[in-house]
Amino acid sequence: MRLVTLGIFVVLLSLFAACAPPAEEVVSSTMEVADQLGRVVKLDKIPERIISLSPSNTEILFALGLADKVVGVTEYCDYPEAAKTIDKIGGFSTVDLERVVALSPDLVLATEIHEARIIPKLKAMGLTVFALDPKTLGEVLESIALVGEVTGKGEEASQLVAEMRSRIKVVTDKTDNMPEAQRPRVFYITWHDPLMTPGAETRHNELIRMAGGTNIARDLSGYAAISLEAVIEANPQVIIAGVGMGSGEDLTFRYVETKPRLKSVDACINHKVYKIDVDLAGRPGPRITDALEQLAEFIHPELFKKD
Amino acid sequence: MPIHFPHWRRRAYAILGLLIAFGGVAAFAMTVGSVQIPFLTTCRVLLSQLPLVDITPTWLSTTETIILEIRLPRVILAGLVGAALAIAGATYQGLFRNPLADPYLIGVAQGAALGAVVGFLLPFDWHGMGVGVIPLLAFIGALVSVAIVYSLARVGKTLPMTTLILAGVALGALWGSIVSYLIITSGEKMHGIIFWLMGSFSLSEWSEVKVVLPYVVVGVVIILLYARSLNVMQLDEEQAQQLGIAVEKVKLILLAAATLITAAAVSFVGTIGFVGIITPHAVRLIWGPDHRFLLPLSVLSGAIFLILADLVARTALAPTEIPIGVITAICGAPFFLYLLRRKKRAVFF
Repeated sequence: MRLVTLGIFVVLLSLFAACAPPAEEVVSSTMEVADQLGRVVKLDKIPERIISLSPSNTEILFALGLADKVVGVTEYCDYPEAAKTIDKIGGFSTVDLERVVALSPDLVLATEIHEARIIPKLKAMGLTVFALDPKTLGEVLESIALVGEVTGKGEEASQLVAEMRSRIKVVTDKTDNMPEAQRPRVFYITWHDPLMTPGAETRHNELIRMAGGTNIARDLSGYAAISLEAVIEANPQVIIAGVGMGSGEDLTFRYVETKPRLKSVDACINHKVYKIDVDLAGRPGPRITDALEQLAEFIHPELFKKD
Repeated sequence: MPIHFPHWRRRAYAILGLLIAFGGVAAFAMTVGSVQIPFLTTCRVLLSQLPLVDITPTWLSTTETIILEIRLPRVILAGLVGAALAIAGATYQGLFRNPLADPYLIGVAQGAALGAVVGFLLPFDWHGMGVGVIPLLAFIGALVSVAIVYSLARVGKTLPMTTLILAGVALGALWGSIVSYLIITSGEKMHGIIFWLMGSFSLSEWSEVKVVLPYVVVGVVIILLYARSLNVMQLDEEQAQQLGIAVEKVKLILLAAATLITAAAVSFVGTIGFVGIITPHAVRLIWGPDHRFLLPLSVLSGAIFLILADLVARTALAPTEIPIGVITAICGAPFFLYLLRRKKRAVFF
């Protein structure tokens, strides 16, 4: 049956190719690109109907000017504003396969969390899936370039990446050779109940380092629960509360402000408690440079304070 | 044993009625989903798959994919799992002569959960014979868990049921605590694990149906063959022995069959609660405790119940999906309470 479907598709495609004038897009021959999960993905043409399976993927697609080609996004895709009006295909890890198939996409942009179960199903239904899995800032830039490559927006992508690189360089030029003694101890709080913080091998850890700070949780692995005791003992000089998670309120920030037992840490004494939109650093997309700039400003206002 | 069955006709009607209901529910579940497909189109797509039926496809190929590759395996798997859990629950309740028994009583669920969580945390992925590493480990976990419970509870050549339940509860608690520990240390994979534990049919596919089907069919047939023995064993075990039932052997066979189908069912879709305890009770309250009818009627009712529950799970908040365990509890518990009120004077066993 899949063969029949494929057959119909091929016939339609050849009819289309025969009727249409030789436009540039049709001429471009089959392209093979390795995605960030190491899968080699074959693309016959520039995708016209794209489904994004994650908020960061959606942000990348919009940043590359592909808004009118995105036909489906997740319920969490809320940036930019226009993404909210696009058809929803379910949650992030809970993809509604029916909706995806019904939208007949020619490219599904997935992520690492879809690797084990979702991607095999989508492939089995004959869909083209390209997956991103950026773990580091460098890989975020790489993922943007890859999306540009498979969507025919290579130029736009390299422009965006170059712009992001130069913004990153402004920060790292001042922090790269900074001695440990000048790096403030930073506590980044992603959730307050339980107290959660990004440890080693997280983008947050990397960004804090690049912004000229030292993450107090750098010895924990991944996004981990941390005890209040450990936080007080580490005595952070800067506390950054990721806000906007879940209900969208600044619960984490209020937690730090109101917790009497945190009053004794340097950050609270010196009023160095800041809020940051949790999505900036949390989503591996084009806004990651905004996250870096804001963190740098919080950690080293003397170097990065904008007037 | 003076058992009279004055309700033969009523029971025949019950089986017939449930069969028709099953067909209707399955067809209805095929036509409803987060994507709107007209009823007639659905029927035509399904009919076109039958041999000797010639219908020219006038529908989109995506419609065909949705119906044949997404909905059909999902409905079939829901029916199979519902049937398996319901008959396993009825069997356990009969064996233990305990109305609180369910398919997860002696450690199947917790063993499966532990296996699945270990599968989630493995750094590699493995597929073989259409089975991923998660369902495989869940299946093994369930069987190993029950095997340990069984060997702990055995006294010489006999198997005291109370010891079996206690060992099952204690070992289940131990597995549960390990699962909790693994969950909090699982980091990014936590989301997937919790969804698995709450149960879902969202990714059902044909290869899973093919694996689960033989277990359920064989297990159900074996259990049905021993329905009469199960009736006799509702008396004292000693009396059953005197009436010519090889009690220990029957216990072992029924335990093995019920455990095997439960393990096969939960390993793909997660530990779905309530079906196994509520369905047999509902059937018992309506049609009586004779296992020769209780068991087949439970199979049909369980299948119908879970297909409907899955339908609600995938359509109520579409495209977001509600974990099916939530639906079975919300629908199941009040229905059960209603039956309990209506037949207040009914005796369970």
